[in-house]
Amino acid sequence: MFGSFLKTAQVKSPWLLHFDCGSCNGCDIETLACLTPVYDVERFGIINVGNPRHADVLVVTGTVNQRNAVILKNLYDQMPTPKLVIAIGACGCSGGVFREAPNVLGGIDKVIPVDVYVPGCPAKPEAIMDAVVLGLGKLKGILEAGK
Amino acid sequence: MSLNTFSLAVAGLVLAPLLGGLAAGADRVVTARLQSRLGPPLMQPFYDVGKLWSKVTLPASHWQGLFVRWALAASLASDVLLAAGDDVLMCFFVQAASASFVALGAFCGSSPYSKLGAQRELFQLLAYEPVFLVAVVCLAKASGGFDALSIMAAQGPLLFKLPLVVPGLVFVVLVKLRKSPFDIAASHHMHQEVVRGVYTDYAGRDFALLEIAHWADVAVVLWICSFLWATGPLQMLATGLVFLFAAVIIDNISARLTWRTMLGRVAPLTLILATANLVWLYLE
Repeated sequence: MFGSFLKTAQVKSPWLLHFDCGSCNGCDIETLACLTPVYDVERFGIINVGNPRHADVLVVTGTVNQRNAVILKNLYDQMPTPKLVIAIGACGCSGGVFREAPNVLGGIDKVIPVDVYVPGCPAKPEAIMDAVVLGLGKLKGILEAGK
Repeated sequence: MSLNTFSLAVAGLVLAPLLGGLAAGADRVVTARLQSRLGPPLMQPFYDVGKLWSKVTLPASHWQGLFVRWALAASLASDVLLAAGDDVLMCFFVQAASASFVALGAFCGSSPYSKLGAQRELFQLLAYEPVFLVAVVCLAKASGGFDALSIMAAQGPLLFKLPLVVPGLVFVVLVKLRKSPFDIAASHHMHQEVVRGVYTDYAGRDFALLEIAHWADVAVVLWICSFLWATGPLQMLATGLVFLFAAVIIDNISARLTWRTMLGRVAPLTLILATANLVWLYLE
């Protein structure tokens, strides 16, 4: 019973860490819009945290470049397991229009493993919330498989 | 110790943290509704703690785990002391020790934000503990004894003898619920490195235990506040809820202040008021 409660708790309490990897702020605004009373993601137990050691889901916007790749990897490594990564927007997914730039490595998956991709320029808040739900479904599958 | 006292102590040990967790859930729901949001379920704090318990992470320092467990033991001990009808003054000192252990654990962390948070946590202790102490002494003076049983057996509500203690207790509840001051507070949606500094290096199970210790602390503070109208269990519960919701409403309708305002203005003012009430009780 306690084990079952812990599994439910892991799915019902996703704490997000939002990292702007070099976004134009379009996707950042849409991500933060999810926290406002209009979308109110807290009803799913989601809260935005500023500390990787407390986070369960890493939400990344923007392209990865030579300078911020180390920071992104560092944040990912500091997060306790199990953890999810969501790449937001065209830039986060693939590098977007900046993918050919000399300092740009590409999407988030060039540095860390990504669980869910959210396309769009910018991505809509509904799509971001859907991505978190998809990610949690994936986490639930992992937890179920692990028992 | 009689069997009855032992049963009460065990009930306090189990129920007080649970009630503290429910208070945290009610706080988040009411706050969301005041902000025109639906908010999380009432059980959300329990899900959060369950989730933190399942996380796999390395502690920032081995000392930190020890201090977290001491903090939890002290918080639960203060609940047990109250439930067994023991000395309220001892309960006060034990819960103060618990708050100190949290700060000491944060000092063990490697992050500069953790150390800064720990320093500010000590400022916070310096601000509210004297007010809380004078409030406890006032309760004892008005009821005729320091043990919880004699305070609860007092003739009539103590509120009418202790009107100037109320602002002090509201201040203590606001601080213990981690609502204000904003640059120390650790309430939800306020997450930055400095703001939640004291919790920076706590993670996983240690953080879950710290959250349970926090629930136990909140239960103790609201329990002591409920002594102001201790004419029966229902009246005490209602008084505790009034203090809880007063803190939630004050937090939502007014700006959170800085730790300098807390230490320089609010703490001295509420301390003077509570001390004036104490002097009045002695002169009466």
